[in-house]
Amino acid sequence: MTPAIEVRNLWKRFVLRHNRAETLKSRIMGVFDSRLRERRETFWALQDVTLSVQQGETLGLIGPNGSGKSTLLRLIARTHYPTRGSVTVRGRVSPMLEIGIGFHQELTGQENIYLNGSLLGLSRREVERLYPAIVEFSELEDFIDVPVKNYSSGMHARLGFSIAAHLDPDVLLIDEALSVGDEGFQRKCQERMQQFRARGVTIMFVSHNLRTVASLCDRVCLLVHGKVEALGPVDAVVSRYQELTAAMTSGAERMLGPELSPRSGDVL
Amino acid sequence: MLNDTLRYRDLLVALVATELKVKYRGSALGLLWSLLNPLALILIYSVAFQYIIRIQIEHFTVFLIAGLLPWGFFASSATASTVSLMVNAGLLKKVHFPREILPAATVLFNLIQTMLALAVFLPSLFVLRGSVPWTLVFYPVVLAIQAVFVTGVALGLSALTVAFRDLRHLTEVGLTLLFWLTPIVYHISMVPAGMQAAFRLNPMTSFVSVYQDIAYWGRPPSAGDFLVLIGWAVSALLVGWTIFRRRAPYLAEDL
Repeated sequence: MTPAIEVRNLWKRFVLRHNRAETLKSRIMGVFDSRLRERRETFWALQDVTLSVQQGETLGLIGPNGSGKSTLLRLIARTHYPTRGSVTVRGRVSPMLEIGIGFHQELTGQENIYLNGSLLGLSRREVERLYPAIVEFSELEDFIDVPVKNYSSGMHARLGFSIAAHLDPDVLLIDEALSVGDEGFQRKCQERMQQFRARGVTIMFVSHNLRTVASLCDRVCLLVHGKVEALGPVDAVVSRYQELTAAMTSGAERMLGPELSPRSGDVL
Repeated sequence: MLNDTLRYRDLLVALVATELKVKYRGSALGLLWSLLNPLALILIYSVAFQYIIRIQIEHFTVFLIAGLLPWGFFASSATASTVSLMVNAGLLKKVHFPREILPAATVLFNLIQTMLALAVFLPSLFVLRGSVPWTLVFYPVVLAIQAVFVTGVALGLSALTVAFRDLRHLTEVGLTLLFWLTPIVYHISMVPAGMQAAFRLNPMTSFVSVYQDIAYWGRPPSAGDFLVLIGWAVSALLVGWTIFRRRAPYLAEDL
């Protein structure tokens, strides 16, 4: 079977620009005064990442903050571009990066559904067909003609997930999206994801909630400092992550003394 | 690339509709607002140049409108394009789509506004003047060539402003300067002979002169005129497109 997502020797470098020269003026001033000059530091967010996700597989992505999980998802969604290596995705991608897809705050929920549909490459007619189901799933019937700027963050997330969940995607990318919204809606999202799995949709899923990861994923990939630390069966990789976290926490305790050590939640 | 852009035609329409909705939502006059700005300028310049400065151009208002509306298309597109990527940072960061659609939507939106203004002001012109020159049939062709030119400028400016944020303010100042260096409220023949060559280096001089020929003088443009306009349009598109393609992969990171 051909993989739905293929990531080969992927490297991503970000340039951290201290004292960023964002204007022509500061660029010119930097020539005369070295204190005003921009300092650049490069930072490898992903280092030689290779992995593939089979069609219909759900891959969980775990790792500490700053380990490159979101960057990897962005590269697969093609909003960011690789420095080296390649990403190949087969089929229509429905990205759920951060909270909500890009909403236009001045437009109503209804108008945003149409705008987002066309952003993701659907024709107007296709969106018209999907529209009733999207509104029903989001439970926002009473607010659908209100500008999105008046929505709560939970309502944002609901509308975003509902759109992403109804686009009939071949590949679904989810970054922490399920952690927003009330418990009832979260359960609904998880049910929806199970339906997608049953239908053979390929899912890549980033989460810090190891219990959700264990219940939804076929395999898990652990990223640390932009490198693949472990990739394989759920139980093995999750326990490897827990060992790693425990080691990091006790290491921090030894160095700082118990009263100064950060709570494990902060380290994650 | 072109294929991709065609596939996203619905997105272009949706983005233009968004700009229209956002701009005119909650205003009683709606689209009529877009006529207020050219109307005010036409009144001010007509009074100032006809009655105060007493410029020696017959039917001055007709002459003015011939050049002012196409200038407005260029100037408002250039201004809006400097922010067209930045105001849509949220979309660029989260969804993959052909990035050039955003400046293209800005140009299309301004073209629609210009055509609306033309539909209202051009007929009123000929009431003042008493006749309609047949050369007006060239108008859509020249407008199409100008739209290509403006698209090139918008592509370049939108991408460069992401890297240099003060380009937005520079553009505004530059446009004010360029307005007075373009023969809109005066005729190119009034420029001292020694400076005329320099004035012709300004692409908007070429466009405005042709517009004045077809809407005011009733002179058909020559093949040479068309070559110059097409030359400007193609060069602007090539330069703008090259700049945009180089920056496009990094837009989501730089915003």
